[in-house]
Amino acid sequence: MDESILVVKDVCKYFPGVTALDHVSIEVPRGVVYGIVGENGAGKSTLMKILSGVYEKDEGTVIFNGETIERTTPIQALRRGLSIIYQEFNLVNTMTVGENIFLGRFNENHGMRGTHKKARELLDSIGSTINTYSMVGDLSASEMQMVEITKALSFDSKLIIMDEPSSSLTSEELKRLGVIINQLRDKGISIIYISHKLDEIFEYCDIVTVMRDGHVIDTKPVSEFTRNEMITKMVGRTLENEYPPRAHFVEEPLLEVRNLNTRKLHNINFTLHKGEILGLVGLVGAGRTEIIRALYGADKAHGHDILLRGQPVKIRNPKQAMQAGIGLVPEDRKREGLILPFSVESNITMASLERLSKFGIVNHAAEKDIAQRQIDALSIKTPSRITKMVSLSGGNQQKCIVGRWLERNPQILILDEPTRGIDVGAKYEIYVLMNKIVEAGGAIIMISSELPEVLNMSNRVLTICGGRITGEFIPEHATAAEIMDKAIG
Amino acid sequence: MRVGNRMKENTSTRFINFIKNNLVLMAIVVLVVVTAIVQPKFLSAANLTNVMRQLWPLPFIALGMTFVIIGGFIDLSVVGMISLSGVVTVALIDPLGQVGAILCGILLGAMMGYLNGTILTACGAMIQAEVLFITFGMSSIYTAIALLLTNAETLRIARCIKPYTIFTALGSGTVGIVPIVLIVFAVILTIMHLFYKKTLAGRNISLMGGNKEAAFLTGCNVKRSMRLVYTISGIMSAMGAISLVSRVTTATATSGTGYETNAILCVVVGGTTLKGGKGSVLRTMLGVALVVLLGNCMNMLGLSTYMQTVMRGAVLVIAIWLDNRKEL
Amino acid sequence: MNVKTIAQKGWKIISKQGAVLAILALMIMMLFFDTNFYTAYNWLDMLRSAAILEIVAFGVTVAVICGGCDLSVGGTLSFGSIVAVMLINAGMPIWLAFVAAIIGGALVGFINGFLVVHQRTEPFIITLGMGMLLKGLCQVLTDAHPLTSLIPDFMKISNSKLFGSVPLLVVYMLVLFAAFYWLMRFTSFGRNCYAIGGNYEVAKYSGIKVIPTKWTAFIISGVTASMAGVLLASRMNTGSSVYGDSTGMLVNCGVVIGGTSFAGGVGGIFESFIGLFVIQMLTNCMNMLGLDSYFQKLFEGILIVMIISLDCFSRKRKRERV
Repeated sequence: MDESILVVKDVCKYFPGVTALDHVSIEVPRGVVYGIVGENGAGKSTLMKILSGVYEKDEGTVIFNGETIERTTPIQALRRGLSIIYQEFNLVNTMTVGENIFLGRFNENHGMRGTHKKARELLDSIGSTINTYSMVGDLSASEMQMVEITKALSFDSKLIIMDEPSSSLTSEELKRLGVIINQLRDKGISIIYISHKLDEIFEYCDIVTVMRDGHVIDTKPVSEFTRNEMITKMVGRTLENEYPPRAHFVEEPLLEVRNLNTRKLHNINFTLHKGEILGLVGLVGAGRTEIIRALYGADKAHGHDILLRGQPVKIRNPKQAMQAGIGLVPEDRKREGLILPFSVESNITMASLERLSKFGIVNHAAEKDIAQRQIDALSIKTPSRITKMVSLSGGNQQKCIVGRWLERNPQILILDEPTRGIDVGAKYEIYVLMNKIVEAGGAIIMISSELPEVLNMSNRVLTICGGRITGEFIPEHATAAEIMDKAIG
Repeated sequence: MRVGNRMKENTSTRFINFIKNNLVLMAIVVLVVVTAIVQPKFLSAANLTNVMRQLWPLPFIALGMTFVIIGGFIDLSVVGMISLSGVVTVALIDPLGQVGAILCGILLGAMMGYLNGTILTACGAMIQAEVLFITFGMSSIYTAIALLLTNAETLRIARCIKPYTIFTALGSGTVGIVPIVLIVFAVILTIMHLFYKKTLAGRNISLMGGNKEAAFLTGCNVKRSMRLVYTISGIMSAMGAISLVSRVTTATATSGTGYETNAILCVVVGGTTLKGGKGSVLRTMLGVALVVLLGNCMNMLGLSTYMQTVMRGAVLVIAIWLDNRKEL
Repeated sequence: MNVKTIAQKGWKIISKQGAVLAILALMIMMLFFDTNFYTAYNWLDMLRSAAILEIVAFGVTVAVICGGCDLSVGGTLSFGSIVAVMLINAGMPIWLAFVAAIIGGALVGFINGFLVVHQRTEPFIITLGMGMLLKGLCQVLTDAHPLTSLIPDFMKISNSKLFGSVPLLVVYMLVLFAAFYWLMRFTSFGRNCYAIGGNYEVAKYSGIKVIPTKWTAFIISGVTASMAGVLLASRMNTGSSVYGDSTGMLVNCGVVIGGTSFAGGVGGIFESFIGLFVIQMLTNCMNMLGLDSYFQKLFEGILIVMIISLDCFSRKRKRERV
């Protein structure tokens, strides 16, 4: 037991309708870089949140530094020596580096001067030249990461969890991070390295655990893994009966996007064909949502061309997109898609109000009919038409949004993470709906972080990385590994 | 037996639910009953007519404010808009005649409201805190213009050469015991209520208040709706100013003082949530009724005007607090 | 490209120090007019006129940095002035009346803190309501008549001069400025306020006791406003319910103009000082130039709208860039 800084045994975590962690066990020795890989939803972040005190485990044992821990708060975890560096960084952008490192511990260092002095020492110990008086908001991502690492050191951390550490780094900065990781390891500090970037896992980690669907699939020293093996274990699953038969494909181009360039996107060109489901695959922040938002007119973009059936169309705002026959089911349904305090009926008819109005007056009777029609057609489980949206389950909420667009018979429907947070049954129903749309002659652009979903539903897949299209695949003729490869970049 | 019990349960739960959903109405009923018992003069024709005459311009302002709040914003510029449109209307009675003056006053209100809306959409104000200060600043500007135009003097309609019969009618004219201005307002209220409930524009305001981003993504022109609610507020302020001028027969550059908080009070008490999206002008009118009756009752019971301000402040704070708790 | 980047960098700096630039602009403008603007007397007068509102602003700044705002300060100001005069006239020693007024302010702040921090209500509207309540309370206490102090010594507090020429009010303001500056810059309470306003969640996860800290910020705001009320009562030898009428909005406006944004976590005591001073200086300049008081109100309104909409606009641009 003296060997391992962290022992996790049979930890389980349940959320309504979903088992996030199912008897997960890992053991992290001291002075080791421990990698954890897995797709979105594999359970990596849930496990980390339990360790760092944000969530409480439902079952199982956690032993840190010889101490059994039942439940903890974030600050207690920090003081015990367990730090976590999130992808989005837990820093106050409006304060200085020095203060961020010692946030809430102002008095421990005798005021401002002492704080900056100690911060300087810690930064020097990892060879960083960042000025402690700089505002965190002005730093680059790499520098922010240095600050986070220094924060961990200031707590005398024995275990540092890094969640997707390289997501905003250049290759130069990544090399520097690698040097620091080695330094930390030599000091006897263990690091849990969570990443999609398998190159980094192979480069920096000593031991790797592959997780999938809340389970630990395999744990071995990294030297005993091959890249293909790792990917296969990440994505492998039985695929029968999870997806309806794939939709038919028609060659005729329906939509063309040319020359889309924004701050984040570079040289985006693609074509969408009638009857096609086009999947966009990429890591979080790769630019997928930015592409569709620019297409839909939700974000400002100019200089690009959009052709609908060969004819140029101007789409500068969502209204014009809707007039062109495009609909969008957004990524964050609570924040962007639904009006939670409003009724199911209102939410469904939101996009059709203009069609239902004559001389500016809304036909309420027709509205009721539409709402009921969609509720019946999509089997939306709700006590009534006028129930508030907030009482529906995630799956039914999503169905309402889809129903909202179906009512308009869109030619093109864009779905951004359509089945996120939805149970398996509702997922299948949405897949069936998607097929119905394309069978009727429409087309779908689908963004999804669930690789199996994209592979099974799409006719064609584009991989997006760093704001560029890095590859084009036909799922029937490519492997998950190849596609993941291009998406990871 | 069992069937009978279930029936009873249904009626009593339904009764409780009715009370919960119509708290304001209940409060008004309780207030009226209690005051009538303590001070019978409360229910006299003289008192009731007096109350109905003294209401104005609050119902107009509260009506406009309701739209702004449903849209998810707030409008503190009503103070300045009331003063300026009042002053301009009276000043124009002689040059343009009373009808022309009234039309110009309303047009001015619309323009001021539109200006408010344009400035806010141009600078991308999204939350109530940002909107707060900009409308406050606009209020200062409008008040200042009114001060400059009047040189801080009081304008009296009695000094006008041309006839001002409309104003007199609005000020003290009645049909039976019902003041003419109340009838005029009832018509406007009905129009605005139908506008909100039935028209596409009204629905868009509601959607915008419910979730700006979702409304935007479903094709709603949020900027246009924003300008619309502020224009409505401007028009209502102008109409309110006219009713005020009719009642007190004067217009000054400070006529509008205090109406912004009173209007917000009526809206919140009436049950429209400050978070936006849901609301009803009819409920706001109940809020107006409660606030005004509360004032009248306090008068009847001999409470000073100042005590009433305290009560109103307390009611506002408690109403907002409870409204917030409901959402949590 | 070069000119564009220079312009962008320039704009970034300007938009951060809008208030300072406004002051410089006014000072430069006044060089062209033959007035008493550039006299020691005038500057001391400006400082003295600004003192009361500046003191209120210090307290409000603490609340705003925490991510809140306090529009009830006008009411608290009047309340403090009235409580002090009432108690002094009833025979209480001046210092005790002062303490009583402060306790009153603390009570107001406590209630505000409860509603905003504990009950998580929108601060601006609820403090607006509290302000209204307090004004009514003041009116009840004084029957809306100004309350004159019967103790001549009371006037000395705010009206005496140090070394015959420096008004004591200015001294109080500077002392409080130093105290608040130290509080916000060099104590853990102050730094925690910045953290809470900057990112509530991060502050919470770092172990900062967010609720008591933010609550205390409101209490400080109430105490400061009440204290300013006593000083104002001493200056005018009168307590009145009309003192705070536009104070709430004006002070909060000045704080935002100075650069302490309602979003929280930015700005500071010095920035608020400058922001309030801009408004004061504008009034002074307009007086010097013999401008009608109505024009003054007009320009004040224009200033407020311009600066805050520019602040909004730059935040909008930042959003769109991401």
